[in-house]
Amino acid sequence: MPRRLGWTFWLSAGWIGLLLLAAIFADLLPLPRYDETLAGAPQSGPSPAHPFGTDGLGRDMLSRVVYGARVSLGVGIGAVLLGLVIGAPFGLIAGYRRRAADAVIMAVNDIALAFPALVFALAVVAFAGAGLSNVLIVLGVLGVPAWTRLIRGATMAFAEREFVVAARALGARDSRILLREIVPNVALPASSYAFIGMAVAVVAEGGLAFLGLSVQAPTPTWGGLINEGRGIMETAPHIVLAPSFVMFLTVLSFNLVGDRLRALTDVRQSGLEPARPSAATPLPTGEHEVAGTLLQVADVRTHFETPRGTVRAVDGVSFTLERGRTLAVVGESGSGKSMLIRTILGLLPGAGAVSGGQVYLEGREIGDLAPAEKREILGTRFATVFQDPMTALNPVRTIGTQVMEPLRVHLGMDRKRARQEAVRLLASVGIPEPAQVLRRYPHQLSGGMRQRVTIAMALSCDPDVLFADEPTTALDVTIQDQVLRLIHRAREERDLAMILVSHDLAVVSQWADEVIVMYAGKVVERGPAAALFERTRMPYTEALLQAIPRLDDPSHHRLRVIEGRPPDPARLPPGCRFQPRCPYAGERCETEEPPLVRAETPDHLYACWFPVGTGAGIVEGTESRGR
Amino acid sequence: MILRKVIRLLVVLGVVTFLSYVMLNLLPGDPTVQILGMSATEEAREQLRQEMGLNSPLFVRYADWLGGVVTGDLGTSYITDIPVLEALVDRLPVTLELLVVAQVISLALAVPLAVAAARRAGGAIDQALTTLSFGMLSTPVFVLGVVLILVFAVHLRMLPATGWTPISVDPYWNFLSVLLPSITLAVGQLAVYSRLLRTDLIATLQEDYITLARARGLSPRRILWRHALRPSAISLITAIGLNLGGLIGGAVIIETLFGLPGIGRLIVDSIFARDYLTVQGGVVLISVGYVLVNFAVDLVYAAVDPRIRRA
Ligand code: SF4
Repeated sequence: MPRRLGWTFWLSAGWIGLLLLAAIFADLLPLPRYDETLAGAPQSGPSPAHPFGTDGLGRDMLSRVVYGARVSLGVGIGAVLLGLVIGAPFGLIAGYRRRAADAVIMAVNDIALAFPALVFALAVVAFAGAGLSNVLIVLGVLGVPAWTRLIRGATMAFAEREFVVAARALGARDSRILLREIVPNVALPASSYAFIGMAVAVVAEGGLAFLGLSVQAPTPTWGGLINEGRGIMETAPHIVLAPSFVMFLTVLSFNLVGDRLRALTDVRQSGLEPARPSAATPLPTGEHEVAGTLLQVADVRTHFETPRGTVRAVDGVSFTLERGRTLAVVGESGSGKSMLIRTILGLLPGAGAVSGGQVYLEGREIGDLAPAEKREILGTRFATVFQDPMTALNPVRTIGTQVMEPLRVHLGMDRKRARQEAVRLLASVGIPEPAQVLRRYPHQLSGGMRQRVTIAMALSCDPDVLFADEPTTALDVTIQDQVLRLIHRAREERDLAMILVSHDLAVVSQWADEVIVMYAGKVVERGPAAALFERTRMPYTEALLQAIPRLDDPSHHRLRVIEGRPPDPARLPPGCRFQPRCPYAGERCETEEPPLVRAETPDHLYACWFPVGTGAGIVEGTESRGR
Repeated sequence: MILRKVIRLLVVLGVVTFLSYVMLNLLPGDPTVQILGMSATEEAREQLRQEMGLNSPLFVRYADWLGGVVTGDLGTSYITDIPVLEALVDRLPVTLELLVVAQVISLALAVPLAVAAARRAGGAIDQALTTLSFGMLSTPVFVLGVVLILVFAVHLRMLPATGWTPISVDPYWNFLSVLLPSITLAVGQLAVYSRLLRTDLIATLQEDYITLARARGLSPRRILWRHALRPSAISLITAIGLNLGGLIGGAVIIETLFGLPGIGRLIVDSIFARDYLTVQGGVVLISVGYVLVNFAVDLVYAAVDPRIRRA
């Protein structure tokens, strides 16, 4: 996938190229020589004859800056090449042959970091003689540890990749693998770092020159020019500003070129909120009636714009939910069920997500509310439990701080009351010695205990709707049932509505009143749990059901798994999305997408041209509302 | 754990001092020329070498010197006749103040900037910070220092261009005299720190516990400052520790530029004067400082991340 380098890259590269040409062909340029005194009046400002003005001896500043570029670029490029030539082989070997080399590299690194590099460079240049080659060698050698580190890191990343592992397994010679497979891949990070290294070397040379320890007068250097101009800064600031400006531009250009090259391999990241909140126009919503039930979700969608195309993670999901009921959302991983929860709660990752559809709480649309009102609803009406208790709690805050926070923020309790309430909450979810647990950190608790804590937190502000996203999947089998019972008890006591996301149909059949089956972002079957399990219509649901291990199965009975893989979300098959894996698929399935239609039982809907158990297609005249 | 760390840092100290000792001694340049001048006779030089112990093998001389260092005796400069330790202690407060003020300035700006940028990664603030930090990273300290002097001292006449007033003499003037140099030193750090923290914050913001904090209806400000900042601070703290070597390099130039009588200036002067012992003493001081700061950083780690505390 080609990425653009952007105009900053080309502008910077252009400046470096221009400077390089000027430095190489300085003798051919129509400029006075850098050491020609009284080329103009001393200390005169910029003029057409002397664009950068003249210095204290009347020498042309432009010429001096151009000749100074010879030293700066020469040292910059030379030092980087030297560092690369020495450092790269070490790095390649260290990254490829881990163990032995690693210890050595780490030790050298430790020392290199503790070593005051510039002081050392100063001493060497001062004692060995200030001159181009000495400066170049010192700066080149000082760059070796950084090069080794970089090449080692890049090599390590690639030494693990399949093609290298495969080549190794096939018995290819190491030198061949390094040359053929690794070097080309390390080349990009290396070339990126080369430019950044040049920026570092140019600055370092400038520092030495500024202290009078680089190439000696009369040859001009940028650092030297700045140092010379310092004394007459008040009367002739251009003498100091001209080389400063050119140097800044040059270092900036090296940095930018390096950064753009590095960015070629970057992944897109997102912050807490979308970068441009108004940029994404919401996706259109189908027509629907506002039912006024506790929770209504109408035609909710979430699409991601990726370089490979639009991913329709959630593609038009609607349902209503009453107090005291449990709705299960089932499907394989990647079916969009977790993303559905995040979309309903408005917790989408920022990068490239577009969503649409409406969510109503007691008939009021929550998408239109002001942020503070939305947070109030999230805090006091909705509650959420996620799959993995290891990542659900903040590792650096005590359990007490975390449990007490919603109580203090949303219910306005003072510290003392919040603490009492937190103790009560932890006790209510079966945590022994709650007062002690409040002082602990998450890593000091077991997974089951942590999940109890997150449940306690979810229940703390007395919510109406509980979103439980695979609440037990990450737990030990023995603890799973306890936690489910705990959630169920809380649901009964508080008359909560619950949305239970699960891939485990055994759990679902035990706890859910209604079930939604999702496949590739779409609802493919939906209905009361009993009807859906007993009179399954959609072949995908059937396949899911058959994949449940049954207690009454004879032990030799082979566990059935669903054949094939879920479709690539960026390249969905035309027609029915389940068609490539469906044993019942007919011709129509390849071209036309089946709509959700009503089965014979009330509220039971499915999307299939050739439903299971009916022998045929759609029951006449039962087209569902919406899509 | 702690013991291994101590041993590792002691090894680092030993190697750094040994390498610098060897290199300084192998470099061309005859200290007797510096002391006796060009015209001295070879006999006089030879006698001086004997006195100074310059004829014994390098390793013996290093051992001698190291023995002195351990007992707090860094030798006495041949050039100035001042005990090296005394010269260093004399200059240390200036450099310390410069480094500390620079760190405070850069952190005080870097943290809020990084938090604002991470809140909407790729948004306007983030892009502005990226652009700004490129500019800051690309400005060598001597260029920035010169420009700052030109603006604030020469044109606006708000701050002194050069010179140093000790805090004991006049705290107000001391503050003025440390302000420009420390800003100059802080700018590069600011860029590095804010980029590092921003990147780590963005990684933290992808965590489940942040999504859940949002699901609990907490405000973005609270989530960023109370939930995300601390778990994201580890790289930043590491950088503060590891950067000391680089900062000293900056301090050498800045002390020269602003005429501050600090360690950096002392080292530069000693290098020009071929005052090996003082240079060597400076290197020891810097490495010891590095080791101490990194010890402190380890303690801070534990305060920031309870998982690092040993049960
Ligand atoms: S529509 Fe066709 S392919 Fe899709 S589930 Fe039904 S039978 Fe299978």
